Amino acid sequence: MEMKRSDHLQNTLELLILKSLQHRPNHGFGIATHVQQASEGLLRVEEGSLYPALHRMEKEKLIKGEWRTTENGRKARLYALTAAGRKRLEHAVSNWTSTVKGVRKLLRFA
Amino acid sequence: MKTPWEWFRRWRGRESEWQDELDTHLAMRAERNRAEGIPANEAHLAARRQFGNRLRTLEDVRSVHVGKWLDDFLQDVRLALRAFRKSPTVAVVAIVTIAIGVGASTAIFGVVDPLLFRSLPYPHDDQLVSIGYFGPVDNNEFNVVSSYLDWRRRQGVFQGLTSMRPGAQCDLLAGQTPSRVTCYFVEANFLSVLGIAPALGHDFTREDDQPHAPPVVLLSFPLWRNGFGGDPRIIGQSVIVDDQPVRVIGVLPKGFEMPQAGLPDLLMPEQLDATRPRAANSSSFLRTFARLRVGVSIEQARARMLPLFEQTVQLDVPKELRSEVRFVVRSLRDRQIHEVKLASWMLFGAVLALLLLVCANVANLLLARAAARRREMAVRAAIGAGRGRLIRQTLTESLVLALTGGLAGCGFAWGLMRALVAMAPEGLLRVERTGLDRRVLLFALAASIVGALLFGMAPALERPRAESLAGARVAGASRTLSRRMLVAAQVAISLVLLTGAFLFLRSFWKLRSEPLGFEPEHVVTASFTLRPQHRPAGAQSAFFHQLETRLQSIPGGGFFALSDSIPPRGSQGRPYSNLRIAGHPPVAADGGMVEFRWVTPGYFRAMGIPIVAGRPFEEGERASGESPVILSATLARRLFGSENPIGQQIDLDAAGRWRPIVGVAADTRNNGLTETDPEYYRLRMANLSPQLGAVALFRTSLPPAALAHWIREEVAQVDPSLPVTIDTLEQRVDRFREQPRFVAALVALFAGFGVLLAAVGLYGVLSFLVAQQTQEIGVRMALGARPRDIAAHIQAYAGMWTAVGVATGVVCSLAVTRIVKGLLFGVTPDDPWSLIAAVAVLTLTAAIAAWIPSRRAARVDPMVALRYE
Repeated sequence: MEMKRSDHLQNTLELLILKSLQHRPNHGFGIATHVQQASEGLLRVEEGSLYPALHRMEKEKLIKGEWRTTENGRKARLYALTAAGRKRLEHAVSNWTSTVKGVRKLLRFA
Repeated sequence: MKTPWEWFRRWRGRESEWQDELDTHLAMRAERNRAEGIPANEAHLAARRQFGNRLRTLEDVRSVHVGKWLDDFLQDVRLALRAFRKSPTVAVVAIVTIAIGVGASTAIFGVVDPLLFRSLPYPHDDQLVSIGYFGPVDNNEFNVVSSYLDWRRRQGVFQGLTSMRPGAQCDLLAGQTPSRVTCYFVEANFLSVLGIAPALGHDFTREDDQPHAPPVVLLSFPLWRNGFGGDPRIIGQSVIVDDQPVRVIGVLPKGFEMPQAGLPDLLMPEQLDATRPRAANSSSFLRTFARLRVGVSIEQARARMLPLFEQTVQLDVPKELRSEVRFVVRSLRDRQIHEVKLASWMLFGAVLALLLLVCANVANLLLARAAARRREMAVRAAIGAGRGRLIRQTLTESLVLALTGGLAGCGFAWGLMRALVAMAPEGLLRVERTGLDRRVLLFALAASIVGALLFGMAPALERPRAESLAGARVAGASRTLSRRMLVAAQVAISLVLLTGAFLFLRSFWKLRSEPLGFEPEHVVTASFTLRPQHRPAGAQSAFFHQLETRLQSIPGGGFFALSDSIPPRGSQGRPYSNLRIAGHPPVAADGGMVEFRWVTPGYFRAMGIPIVAGRPFEEGERASGESPVILSATLARRLFGSENPIGQQIDLDAAGRWRPIVGVAADTRNNGLTETDPEYYRLRMANLSPQLGAVALFRTSLPPAALAHWIREEVAQVDPSLPVTIDTLEQRVDRFREQPRFVAALVALFAGFGVLLAAVGLYGVLSFLVAQQTQEIGVRMALGARPRDIAAHIQAYAGMWTAVGVATGVVCSLAVTRIVKGLLFGVTPDDPWSLIAAVAVLTLTAAIAAWIPSRRAARVDPMVALRYE
């Protein structure tokens, strides 16, 4: 699979976004808080940098955004995974896991 | 069509949506902050801190959407410019070629646009029609008052029917300054049927249009502006028109134009009188126009009106003319441009053909360059450029070329338009409106872009091949085939243009060389139209008598004559069927019209028309009341065959008044030089001057300018305010040759460009082939081929493709030139000489274009060629 930019950080951010949207659509703010909460404060995305990533991923048809009203009555742009997005998520997860596994083994070996 | 503005607005919409998204985020964060106990005034600031730089984020989002597309485009443009810098000759030749094509087509579009495409200056102009009788008396449909009144009362098919009288000159006195202006008399509903409202004041009312109603007038905008200083207080005041006080009730809108394309100064109610006897109303002429109801076609309207027409034609048209009168309903545009319509379409067609040639040529150039760049493309494909990306790059290059060429073309078009307007024959409809306006510029842009797509497609579809990487020369048979076909197509198109040019040149030459029947050299004419105060018959005759005596006595004036009209303009026509010969059976009923002029005895001498039998009129006869007649040779032949007409008695109006035929004059060309109509002449009697207009003729050796001075002086002695127009007869004749000359010159110009382009195209293809086959030629020479054989080989090859083009071109020419039949004089569209001349010129040009590369091929040194690479 080819990727636009093999920038490591970029890929990590993409993975975080995809994962946050796995179970339900969410808006940018929701994704940011979800990442923070689910990682119990270990990971923190710079909120501004989230949006260019969201738009790029939408252009790549990994996610789809739509203006909708949230449960507390506010209008917000909600993003949902597309089929391509789900596939990418699967791939990214396995990629990440194997990278982590490899790195962990390497660290243990030393 | 989507305008740039709409596009811009949509973009703005998206932009504000992105901002909203970020603002929603900030608001949510602030709310959360408040919920976590941060004071309200700080919650928002904190949210912004946490968010980071909002503007920067927005910019990043924007670049996600714009960035790639714009980057790619700019990169393409940079690449294109770099490629052009590398081979500037190709770029310059292409740009100049495009500039010629776009410039010429844009200029012609500018000229024909107001005629063919632009809407007429009336709302819903497609609903407006001209309607009336069509007969041999006039080039346009006309009507008579009595028929019109019936039609108006009983028609149910038009939204509105309206009428006007033919325009006339009248005298306007406003304050102390008299001026001669153009007046039209129209019905009260005239403006409302056209959909026009006065710019100032109000329209005519029905009361204004009643017979003997107090006279009122509408001023034209230019007259109001220039003659009355644009003062709105003129409304309600009186001006003097033809010695009568008339109240001004309004001002016409700027740019108002009569439906027959005349420009009025004054508009007054025509005041048709239904109570006059039918006979009087049926000899009173009108032009009638109507507005169709929505959804009714011209054919339907015609069908519905036909029964009415058939009734009134019985009542109002003299019996002997009925069979020649038709009923016409046609669109206003057709009525206005029918004489120039064909010429306009033809010029537009010719220039589009030229544009096509330009595209073919540039395509050829780019293909040749693409062949040279095959390696570059292959490299780019190999390192990952997608096929779409490569096509886009090639198209961008074409676009850059086309737009540069188009821009230069606009400059060229501007110059060409000025030249065309200067060259255009007088009275060419709306030519003064030609200019580089928005529509014309849009056309230039469209022509450039369509051109770019056309000539960019060929090299864009060139598929880069991996083998090219090796630097080997891939023959690419299909590619050279397409180039050869392009050349054949160019030859074909230029042949069509060239045949057309030869047809028009031959037609024009025939028009020039055909004997006129009179000798226009050394003849000075002075024409004038009597003012209305001379209208009473007595005053008129006295006036002409005085004028004649004075003009005749001008020293050095030579042979002098007075006539009511002179060729090549037509005269007043009379139906042939009205003629009777004593002792002969009645003439055929459908003989068309006969020209008729009132002349003084010196006419034939002054015009140089030979009397072929009998004698000319004599001065002594003018007082006698005998009223003799002279026939033209054609008319004499038609009436008498081989019989001698001299001494026979003729009745001219089927009225029982017999007049002697005293002579037969040679034929002259009338009606714009194209026809020799049958014609007869009557002696202008001393005491009877039936026409308001007259032309004085002087066959003299005096310089025209000197004579003009004397003429003006003498006329001023009789009536100082009578305007006189002085021309030489040659000038008058030339005026009729202007339009054919204009058309012939333009078509010849385009054909010249066409041949040049075809030659360049052929030369380009052959040079390229020779360069490509250098090695092969070297091998052949090494094996014993003589240079002559090599040259012959190349020439045969060129000959074959030229022949294909010529054959196609001949077929196309025969099909296309048929359309312009109506524009030709004395030449048939399938004129073999024009076709042969065109083929000869083209073949010769092709031979020259082929000769240079074939010589180069013959000079190839086998040793050098074989060592090459």
